[in-house]
Amino acid sequence: MSQAPRATQGAVRTILARAIATLETISCVVIFAMMVLTFVDVIGRYAFHKPIFGGTEIIAALLALTIFSGLGVINARDEHITVELFEGPFRRLLSPLVYEVAIQVFSVFAMTLLAVVLFEHALESYHQEKLTEVLEMPTYYVSGTVAVFAVISLLSQVTGVALKILDLASGRVRADL
Amino acid sequence: MTPALIGFAILLALCFFGFRVGFATLIVGFVGFAMQRGWSPSLAMVAQQVTEDAQNYNLSVIPLFILMGVFIYRSNISADLYDAAYAALGRFKGGLALATVLACGGFSAVCGSTLATAATMSKVAMPQMKAYNYSDKLAAGTIAAGGTLGIMIPPSVPLVIYGIIAEQDIGLLFIAGILPGLLLVLLFLLAVAVMVRLDPDAAPEAAALDAARKRAAVRGTLPVLFLFVLVLGGIYGGIFTPTEASGIGATGAAVIAALRGHLRRWVEWRDCLVEAAMTTAKIFIVLFGAVVFTQFINLSGMPYDLLDAVDAWNLDGPQLVIFICLIALLMGMVFESIGIIVLLVPVFLPALYALDVDMIWFGIIVVLVTEIGLITPPIGMNVFVVKSVLPDVRLADIFRGVGFYIVALGLALIAVYSVPGIATFLPSIAR
Repeated sequence: MSQAPRATQGAVRTILARAIATLETISCVVIFAMMVLTFVDVIGRYAFHKPIFGGTEIIAALLALTIFSGLGVINARDEHITVELFEGPFRRLLSPLVYEVAIQVFSVFAMTLLAVVLFEHALESYHQEKLTEVLEMPTYYVSGTVAVFAVISLLSQVTGVALKILDLASGRVRADL
Repeated sequence: MTPALIGFAILLALCFFGFRVGFATLIVGFVGFAMQRGWSPSLAMVAQQVTEDAQNYNLSVIPLFILMGVFIYRSNISADLYDAAYAALGRFKGGLALATVLACGGFSAVCGSTLATAATMSKVAMPQMKAYNYSDKLAAGTIAAGGTLGIMIPPSVPLVIYGIIAEQDIGLLFIAGILPGLLLVLLFLLAVAVMVRLDPDAAPEAAALDAARKRAAVRGTLPVLFLFVLVLGGIYGGIFTPTEASGIGATGAAVIAALRGHLRRWVEWRDCLVEAAMTTAKIFIVLFGAVVFTQFINLSGMPYDLLDAVDAWNLDGPQLVIFICLIALLMGMVFESIGIIVLLVPVFLPALYALDVDMIWFGIIVVLVTEIGLITPPIGMNVFVVKSVLPDVRLADIFRGVGFYIVALGLALIAVYSVPGIATFLPSIAR
């Protein structure tokens, strides 16, 4: 491989690694907030008869953010749950490259579907000006953020997949992301 | 029913081929629904199902219990639990293996993860058993099987997922898991006793713990015991909802880890929180796929066709449960517990409700069956985890070692099936 594409690949790897680190930081802040909020809500409710106003809605929103920020990382690293019963024979049968392309294109298609429907849902929430029941916060705040995370997840997945396939095509072992 | 059967066949083929389970389920469900209703309704259905589940407050119990388990795992409490268990059972023949079972039960009660229990106990118990020349078969088999206790003894993520799919009270399911979990521990202890009796050389006598180490071990396990009682007692006493209990449990576990000298640096916090978030995302992508697939299955009419078939075959509730168990056992050879629950339970829900099957009891039965799948070939997840932590132990030895524990799990299944009170007694009091 010539120097220029190799340099581009190196830059892409660096960007992906940074994106993953950022998503990890976001996911850990969000899940920590969820834990603290739930704890404070319980203590407030039972010890002081004063739960956090709209606590349930905030925790539900944090759950969505935890899932979709975490999804970006597992997509980039391809750490999804799989059944590894016939993977080896199929991989040998088709050649590792063809097998990997088939699996990853399917995953990218599924993630694209998720990103598209979540984006449409967020747009719909925005146009309908829906509000949450307790906090009366526009629902598109959460659905929009989730949609953005879904798109970021898709981008990180595509990048991770492309690098993995390039590594396989060039006969290199997959580099750690 | 034909579209649903075709859907199932395609889904199984995709999973066997190595496609990611969550994505395969999502796409088959989406396309199947679209084939019957059109693409636009199918897109709207996916958006609605995914958004609802992603922002379902009751589902926040999953990341928080996972976080509790990660903190407990990080607190290195397993060694103290093991010592305390050995202090209690060390005087019996095969004491180290007996202690391993007890420690696995104790650890899984606050950790909730079968894989984490198996991995941790491989590191803690195996060196001790190796030092006293325990056979690999007994030692590694005990660890792999002991790890399975994690999905029965509450808090248990598979029970949470079952509760959501079957619309059952998660708190009651946790309470229902207590007696079967204890029964399993007893049967596993019995399995060790039988194995040691049949092959005395497999477990040579080991030295007793000195008094100071015993005291330290007991002291070390007290906070975990307190946390378990607080979380389960809170749910049982109706003080906390399961979600609230999970928040208390996760915070309590973080405090325990911090008091034991962990979580002193940001990087340790980060590692734990990221691990919990990643596990959450992995589980939820399977859940999203499952709810979409379930919509397709429901639309195809398969659950109601099955109901008619059950009627035609004159099956009663317990017979239907046996039929479902057989399918779950077969699926358990390939799928892990969450996969089995999300694919199998929705299909049979209408028939189970129509036959008045106690859904709390059924949940425990299903989880017991999936537990067997964790240690049976060809894909016994726990066996592979132990193998990955202990590369020197032969895979065949671990599979041979779990044989008696599979029998014990089978006996527990028969016991809970024949005497439903084992699962339903405590929930009936709590109700």
